[in-house]
Amino acid sequence: MRILIVEDDLEAAAVMVRGLTESGHECLSAADGEAGLGEARQGEFDVMIVDRMMPKMDGVTLVETLRREGDQTPVLFLSALGEINDRVDGLKAGGDDYLVKPYAFAELIARVEALARRRETGSVQTLLRVGELEMDLIGRTVHRQGREIDLQPREFQLLEFMMRHAGQAVTRTMLLEKVWEYHFDPQTNVIDVHVSRLRSKIDKGFDRPMLQTVRGAGYRLDA
Amino acid sequence: MRLPRIFRTTPFRLTLLFLALFAASASAFLAYIYIATAGEATRRVDQLITREMRTLQSAYGRAGTDALNQALIERAASERPYLYLLMKPDGARISGSIEESPLESFNGEATWTSFQVTEFDVQGREIDRPARGLQERLSGGEILFVGADIAEDEAYVVKIVRALWGAGALIIVLGLAGGVVVSRNVSRSMTGLTNVVDAVRNGDLSARAPVRGTRDELDELAVGLNEMLDRLERSMAGHKHTGDAIAHDLRSPLTRLRARLEASFLDLEAGRGDPQAAFAQALDDTDGVLKTFGAVLAIARLQAAGAAPDPVLFDPADLAADICELYEPLCEDDGLDFKAELARGMAIRANREFMAQALANLMDNAIKYTPKGGAIMLRVRRRSSGEVEFSVTDTGPGVPEEDRTRVVERFVRLENSRNLPGAGLGLSLVAAVAEAHGGRVELSEGPGKVGEIGPGLRVAVILPPA
Repeated sequence: MRILIVEDDLEAAAVMVRGLTESGHECLSAADGEAGLGEARQGEFDVMIVDRMMPKMDGVTLVETLRREGDQTPVLFLSALGEINDRVDGLKAGGDDYLVKPYAFAELIARVEALARRRETGSVQTLLRVGELEMDLIGRTVHRQGREIDLQPREFQLLEFMMRHAGQAVTRTMLLEKVWEYHFDPQTNVIDVHVSRLRSKIDKGFDRPMLQTVRGAGYRLDA
Repeated sequence: MRLPRIFRTTPFRLTLLFLALFAASASAFLAYIYIATAGEATRRVDQLITREMRTLQSAYGRAGTDALNQALIERAASERPYLYLLMKPDGARISGSIEESPLESFNGEATWTSFQVTEFDVQGREIDRPARGLQERLSGGEILFVGADIAEDEAYVVKIVRALWGAGALIIVLGLAGGVVVSRNVSRSMTGLTNVVDAVRNGDLSARAPVRGTRDELDELAVGLNEMLDRLERSMAGHKHTGDAIAHDLRSPLTRLRARLEASFLDLEAGRGDPQAAFAQALDDTDGVLKTFGAVLAIARLQAAGAAPDPVLFDPADLAADICELYEPLCEDDGLDFKAELARGMAIRANREFMAQALANLMDNAIKYTPKGGAIMLRVRRRSSGEVEFSVTDTGPGVPEEDRTRVVERFVRLENSRNLPGAGLGLSLVAAVAEAHGGRVELSEGPGKVGEIGPGLRVAVILPPA
């Protein structure tokens, strides 16, 4: 994946470049908004990571400008501002996801990969298939090896999200944000309990577990 | 010259205005009384004189001047209160009880006049008595004057007029005195308010306006001012406390982090220790510091904003149902009996995200502190006051009554919870969220103590209905 990092904190940018490169991505970084806009206009990127507050041109203006020009590259905003309003502003400006600083690197990489994936599966799907697992989005049914799996509505949503991001690590925060639409940080392991229930439904009685725990990051659904 | 303070007060000015209106209507009232009494007396005298005049004229009509003259002489001799004068057409006196007409000139038409008659009392002193008379020309050309002594009627009128003046003066005095009392009362309350404003301006946030319990506008203003000051004072104290608390609570984990890193560094230099474990621990500690920081910031922002951002209208039961759905599996896994009682059909205007977080915090706490085999109940109901109440009740150890106010404060953790994770910010955030929505948090005992279990804790978030 080609990733553009627009971040004025050079050390933070260097850490991101290193981490993303080690994960097999190709990175380019720009140190301010104007430089970032120039790079974004020239190159084809799969995802852009944009800091909100930068010299010369702030992240929101940068993304608004690109969106006006018809550039639909997914954007992950990074911000030291964590209030709900800031998040809403960022998403309104055309951002696709929002990560508050400081963040765990696993969180960043999970979100970047999720954004890139979303772009690939842009067309409307009615059937999701990950290995032996099949989800009918219209009939709201799930089968593994042809055997029907009975899921609660929320478990269905959880599995749908995991199937759409199969092969990638998704974090607990991402699940809480994208499946439950809450943006806070629970003190207890609520998400783990929901995932382990889902796991017992889709993996129990089968020879090979599909839902994996990724240490230090979250979970991953493997084909 | 500066008027004394009381004359400059708004209430006093209003009193004067009121008094002026009052005096005007009182004057109209008194004038009516005057016309109806004193005026009536004068009219009665005029009527009597007119009647006497007609009687005499009819005597004259029947039998001429001599008969009239005779009648006058008879009448003057009797005890009648009338004065008579019969004159020739040129005005010369023919007969009567007075020497000459009090009229200076006479053009022949019936003419009324008020005049004085001079009498002598028993001691021979001269007394002027008021009188009234009517002069007319008779059909034969002679002039007849009929008058009456009205001293008694006059005295009656004077009494009435005096009484009216007295009443008027009394009205003014009473009105003024009432105005002074009212304005002094009002301005005393105003002075109380002004003093508070002055004190606050000079930096004394503990000043409060006296509330008299009369529930009038001024009292309401005083109550409002006091509430505003309470909030301001709490907020200021909160800011100070936040600063102190952040310094304190971030310093300890940072110190610990630093010490661990230093120890690991020394270990690694000496060729022992596990660098990976040291780093993992350091990251964990850093996350803890960041979490604390985030929570303190969220509370401080809510308190500073004073109101929750982006409120929307929703059914509190829907939100609670979402939270139930999120937490029920966790309760089950922890061996806790979870129940929900959600009253439907109410509405609140609130920030959904903050409310969800507040409920999640309450659930987190309940799950954390309730031992296996206990029970947790999430409830949404309408209070008899109309307020909407969310409550989470557990069967954990509870919070002793004397600590219930304290645990809501930032960073306060009770001794028996020190070994559990958390920064002591959960309830503070719940309280901040409740207050930002114009509500409050109430802590009370749970279901009670049964053997080793309980007494439990019940935390309620009470919000005004939308």
